This record gives sequence, C-alpha cells and structure tokens, in this order.
Amino acid sequence: MEYVNPEGLRLDGRRPMEMRQLRAEIGVVSRADGSASFEMGNTKVIAAVYGPREVQNRSQQMNDQALVRCEYSMANFSTGDRRRKTKGDRRSTEISLVIRQTMEACILTHLMPRSQIDIYVQVLQADGGTRSACINAATLALADAGIPMRDLVTSCSAGYLNSTPLLDLNYLEDSAGGADVTVGILPKLDKVTLLQMDAKLPMDIFENVMQLAVEGCKAVESHIREILLENAQTLVIRQGYGS
Amino acid sequence: MAAANGSSDLYSEMEVDAFRRLFPLRYHEQHLLKFVRPDARKLGNARDTTLALGAVASADGSALAKIGSTTMLAAIKMEVMTPTVECPDEGSIAIEFHMPPICSPLVRPGRPAEAASVISKQLSDAIFSSGMIDLKELCLVGGKAAWMAYLDIYCLDADGSLFDAALLSAVAAFSHLNIPVVSLNEDGRMVLVSEDNVQLKLEKQPVNTEKRKLKLNSPPFSLTCLLHKNYILADPTAEEESIMETAVTVVLDSSYQLVSLYKPGGPVHAHTSVIQDCVALAKRRVKELKSVLNEVISDMEVE
Repeated sequence: MEYVNPEGLRLDGRRPMEMRQLRAEIGVVSRADGSASFEMGNTKVIAAVYGPREVQNRSQQMNDQALVRCEYSMANFSTGDRRRKTKGDRRSTEISLVIRQTMEACILTHLMPRSQIDIYVQVLQADGGTRSACINAATLALADAGIPMRDLVTSCSAGYLNSTPLLDLNYLEDSAGGADVTVGILPKLDKVTLLQMDAKLPMDIFENVMQLAVEGCKAVESHIREILLENAQTLVIRQGYGS
Repeated sequence: MAAANGSSDLYSEMEVDAFRRLFPLRYHEQHLLKFVRPDARKLGNARDTTLALGAVASADGSALAKIGSTTMLAAIKMEVMTPTVECPDEGSIAIEFHMPPICSPLVRPGRPAEAASVISKQLSDAIFSSGMIDLKELCLVGGKAAWMAYLDIYCLDADGSLFDAALLSAVAAFSHLNIPVVSLNEDGRMVLVSEDNVQLKLEKQPVNTEKRKLKLNSPPFSLTCLLHKNYILADPTAEEESIMETAVTVVLDSSYQLVSLYKPGGPVHAHTSVIQDCVALAKRRVKELKSVLNEVISDMEVE
C-alpha cells in the first residue's frame, strides 16, 4: 500500500513532517486534584490526577518517596470494532507501566514521602499514538494538580514507511507494520526518558526517525506550555490578583 | 450548657471553608433555613444542563451530557448478530455504565464501583420499560440477522445525580444514532458497506439500504431529589448526596407518564404528598430536558 503518494502527501493529507492538530484543555474533571484532556487529531484522551494522598495499601508505603500509580484504560467504543475487556489486559498493563515509569522519572517523589499519587488515563477515541497522547495528558494533569516536577515530559511518535520518515502516525500508518518509534523527552533538560521501537531499522535511519520524533516532542512541549500559561493567567484573574 | 456555648463560639470564629468541612450537615442546614443551597440554587432548581451530539467519531451514535459538572459520555456501536430463538424478529440492546477511576476520588481502581452496576441495571430497566425503542425495528432478516446495539456510558466527572445525567446521555445518543448500511455478501454473511462504495452495494443484496435513524417513542427523562427533614432538594451535587442520604428518583416519559420511581431506603420516610411534590418537580424538569434535547437535535439537522 502507498502511504506517501508521489506528491508527498500522506493518507490523511499531511506532509511527512507534519503533526496532527493538537488540542488540550485543563481542569476537565471537577473533583480531581488535577485533570486535562488532550487530543492529537482523532486520538482523544482524558487524564486525572488524585493526590498526593494517603497511601491506600500500607505495605506499599515508602518512607523516602511518594508512590506513583497509573491506570490506563480504553473506552469500549474508542476503536473501530467494539472490544470488551479493555482493562487489565496485557496491552493496557504494559502501557500503564510505561506511563507510570515515565511520569515517575520526572516527579520529585522525594518531596512527598509516605504519600501516593494516582494517575488515571482514559482513552475516549483511539487513532494511533494513544501512548503519546496519554503521556502528554498526564503531564498536563500533574501540572494542574501542582505536583512538583523536574520538567514537563512530552511524547510523540514517528515511523518509517515507503522509505520516508513520518511524524505522529495515525492508526492506519501505525498498523502498516513499519517501524514505530515512540519517544518521551524532558525538553528543558534535553534528555530522553522513554524510547520504544519494535521493528527492524538500519542504524542511520533510526537516528533520523528518532530525531524527527524528538522534534515532535518539542512542538508538543511548546503547545503544552502555552496552554499552561493561559490557564495560569485565567486563574490569576479569577483570584483577583490580575489587572 | 457551657460546652454548647463553647461550640457556638467555635462556629462563629471559624472560616467558612473549614466550617463546611467540619460540620457539613450544619453548614447545609444553615442554607436550607434560607431556602437556598451553597451553589446559590433554589431548592427545586436543577443545575445548568448541556448536551452535545456526535462527541465520539468512532461510534455510530454518541452524546456528551453535562449537568452542572457531572459529565457523561455515551456512545453506541452497532453489530450484527443472530437473534435469539424466542424472539427471532427482534434486535437487542446491551447497556453498560462505567465509572472509571478518573471520575471521582472515591472510586479506586481494580474492582468496579458498586454504584456503577446499580446504575447500569436502573438504566436498562428505565429504557426498556419506557418502550422508547421498538426492538423489532432492529431486525434485519427475520430469524437470521438483527442488530445488537452496545451502549456504553462513561462517567467522566461524578458530581451527583449520576443516573439523571446517564439517562439523558443515553437518550441523546439514541437520538443521534445512525444505523449503518449493511448488505449480504456471497456467503450469506452481513458486511458493512462503507460510504464510498454505495454503487457496489446496489449490485449486491442491500438489506439496510440507507443510513436511517431509529424511531424513539416518548423517551424517558429523570430527576433525582434528596429528602432531608421537610426539604426537597432537586438535582443534588455529590457533596449534598454524601451528607443527606435519602434520594428519590422519578423517571417520566415525554408525555409525563410515570415510568419508574426509585427510593432506595434512607433515613427519611417519604409521605405520599412528598412523593407527589417530587413528581411535580420531575415534570417541570422533564419539560426543560425535552427542550434541551430538541434544541440540539434541530441544531444537528440544520448542519
């Protein structure tokens, strides 16, 4: 199948280096300590953060750092075919773990000993790149909850099809069987915290693809920062410190 | 006596927020004396309600309902199934209500919240007993094929009156539902026909020739009221629900006929007159909800 046509356009009309439209909103769940929704094109996820709160299971309590937990689940109607049991299967468990470890790496857990932070992400609509969208939503939700972090982790994926590196794969491109590189970075520190790839790819091409994904992460970061700044400004005005 | 005086001093000195957390019942009763509620509503008024149709692109019908900050996302997916032997000319509807842990600090991951399965049951009871949907309409080929409608409702934000919001989103999702086009292929199996190859469909045996809407007969709407002493509080928030425990849910259909009445125990015993008051409040509310729903539907049609 042709994923990039001779004019250099992809199936959904994007250029190879083009991302899907990003949309984010903060404070979508009223009773959560922090929450955000994040959209990358047709992929739509919502994240909520509860905590730092008392540790639920005492045996898991740690005296020198906070316990971070994460649960990823997909709505039954989020994919093309309705699927049941989308919680607790292997794929969700794996993604939960990936998100938890990525977020844990950037939360300053040592500042909140003997407490627990819960991150819940719910996929409402899946069109490729849910992993990245979830990480971006979780970052926003953590920032909204006021949890101290080293940096804003952002994530983006890139792939390699028809000998062209492609940024931010959608579902069709994702399921094409080519390489899919998901990268999560700490943009200010310029460090990679998450890197997943499951395909064969020559070393020099891999470097190109990964560089593309990193560029994508940086684009996401500037968008996220804008949203956070906007949110902070409205909060300031609401509190009456503005003008 | 001295102790009572001491505590009243404590009340007067305390900040409002602290008072609200420490003595929630007293805090609310102070408001009730003046016939208002902490969010400035009158006792019989419901919160602002908004609806949006077609919120989920991957579903055949979907709706997002918000009552105050209680948020419900409902979506329907249609699948072809073989009808049961007992009712060979009827389709079927499966309703599931989910409360993912994002919705409330009280829901912990792992096992599902108790409230979720209760509301699932209530919802399917209300939808089936109201006769809103004629299951015969979901039939494709008698005895061979019929539609299975999977309705999944996700609570994204739980701030009280969950059942009301869930029912509203369910009704709205059904009114947005477009039944997809299917045809029989050579092996006698049903295949979905995508919009691009409508010509192709005509050569084959079309079973469901065009996208069609489901006919809804008199959809049900509901209102939950809290009873506390002599007060009736319509459309309670989660905070009110946690303090005052007696709830009455009234479900009426669009012609104001009673569909169901649900009072799951609680410390307050309701007199008949109180129940009648609740029904009267529900009637007023149903009128509101009907106009909200009709408005979004007509907006959709204009587009």
